[in-house]
Amino acid sequence: MTHRRKFQVFRRRRPVTMLASFLLATFVASASAQAEPQHDAFVFLSLEGYQMHSSLNPELDGPGHRATADFLYSYNSDNFRFLAEYILSNTEGEMERLKAAWRIDDSTLLWLGRFHAITNYWTTEFHHGQYMQTSISRPGLEEWEDESGPMPSHITGLSLESDFALGEKSGISLGLAAGLAPRFEGNQLVAFDILDPGSGHELSLSGRLVYRPDVLTMKQIGLAVAHNEIDVVSDSNPNLVDLNSIRQSTFGIFYNWQWQDWRLSMNWVYFDVEMQYRDRDVDDEFLLGYVQGEYKASDDWTIFGRVEIGDNEDLSEYLQLLPNVIAHRHMLGLRWDFADSHALTLELADTSTQGAAFEHANFKEIRIQWSAVFP
Amino acid sequence: MRLRPLQLLIFAIMAMPAQAALAETAVVLVTGSDSQINEMSTLDIRKAYMGISVTINRLSVRAVRHNDDDRLNKIFLQSVVAMSRRSYERRLLSLFLKFGTPRPVEVSNHDELTELLEKDPRSITYMWKSDADADPGVRIIRVLWQET
Repeated sequence: MTHRRKFQVFRRRRPVTMLASFLLATFVASASAQAEPQHDAFVFLSLEGYQMHSSLNPELDGPGHRATADFLYSYNSDNFRFLAEYILSNTEGEMERLKAAWRIDDSTLLWLGRFHAITNYWTTEFHHGQYMQTSISRPGLEEWEDESGPMPSHITGLSLESDFALGEKSGISLGLAAGLAPRFEGNQLVAFDILDPGSGHELSLSGRLVYRPDVLTMKQIGLAVAHNEIDVVSDSNPNLVDLNSIRQSTFGIFYNWQWQDWRLSMNWVYFDVEMQYRDRDVDDEFLLGYVQGEYKASDDWTIFGRVEIGDNEDLSEYLQLLPNVIAHRHMLGLRWDFADSHALTLELADTSTQGAAFEHANFKEIRIQWSAVFP
Repeated sequence: MRLRPLQLLIFAIMAMPAQAALAETAVVLVTGSDSQINEMSTLDIRKAYMGISVTINRLSVRAVRHNDDDRLNKIFLQSVVAMSRRSYERRLLSLFLKFGTPRPVEVSNHDELTELLEKDPRSITYMWKSDADADPGVRIIRVLWQET
């Protein structure tokens, strides 16, 4: 979101009133629930500098930086939970998550509000907590909408989270969500703005099933399925003139495993995209995925690498509409954890974006980042 | 034979400091004196302190931590959660980031802790056995660690 757009959003009175009412209602509900609520708040900070090099494409050549503060607050009482996440950086300011939950029982929560898409593995593991993810970069598959991500990452509506014990330590987690999907505008997906309820968005339905062999660890393997009806703002880009809507169905499998000092995580997503033009429909099928490996050489040092690839993505008409989406990346990095909760990370990568035609745009990148969490 | 009572007295006097030392160097899991939580497995204790929901006698257990006793905290990390401090904090932070899961409540002094245990019968915490024995407001559930 640009700064100009952000200020426009905050000038509108009616949505702000609605937001205030929403917050008030959640706090009233919590007050009636019980007497001993708990508040938790954290801020994730990060400073990143990067240099990209491309001999062919000047847009992918040059330095850059990003400073980010991610504010999180949660409120918990017996039957009620509230969670807010606001991100502020040198390029955007956005209410990322704003949701309230009713606790149906000890292991089931029904959420209402704006949340991160439950089908995106990386997103639901790390959200905007840069310090929590080992690498600096996110996989292109799971980039945010405003970073050319191919999947919706913000949904506004209802979601249900439930955990079932299988044995003493193992369990299954079920997630279901229904809400408003992003729309396609310019050359990216644009999430529903909770402060602008009249902006017009279509339906998003999703579900995921996760098996955890040991709930005391982060080991998990899961399936995720989603269907998104994506409205298109046809006059926002000449390439969208005849495009009315996009139906995107995805099926993904994700995995995170640890063996002593080794960790392996991956996510593979099959896309079935139906693009409905004024005079024709285009069916588009492709696969995107990544594998990230990590080795903890000591308590403080971690070596990691990631490969991002796809199948049939080169010919995808849908991805042609997202020229900056990361199609391929081969990355290596080193992270140093110091003090209680600070980290310095270095990343080197050979990367390709989808590009405007059927040829990827290649560039090299080097990134360095400090990240931390307070308190 | 005449010396036997004296010998017993000497042995008893000699044993007293040893018993006191044993009491002081044990860490126990406690709850409020009126709580319905009578027993907890090692796994359930670990789950409760890792932010995973544990229900006992229809009570959702609430884990409470100390932040004023370094040695006690070290024993807690080694014997209860079996993780380094950084890994444990990271695990709690991950659950908070993902689900808004509340972290274990932290208290900084014994009076505050006793008050919390009395007020909330779902609360559990760990403390030195000597402190638990001296506090009528708490009840020992089990021994977590003992110096050998």
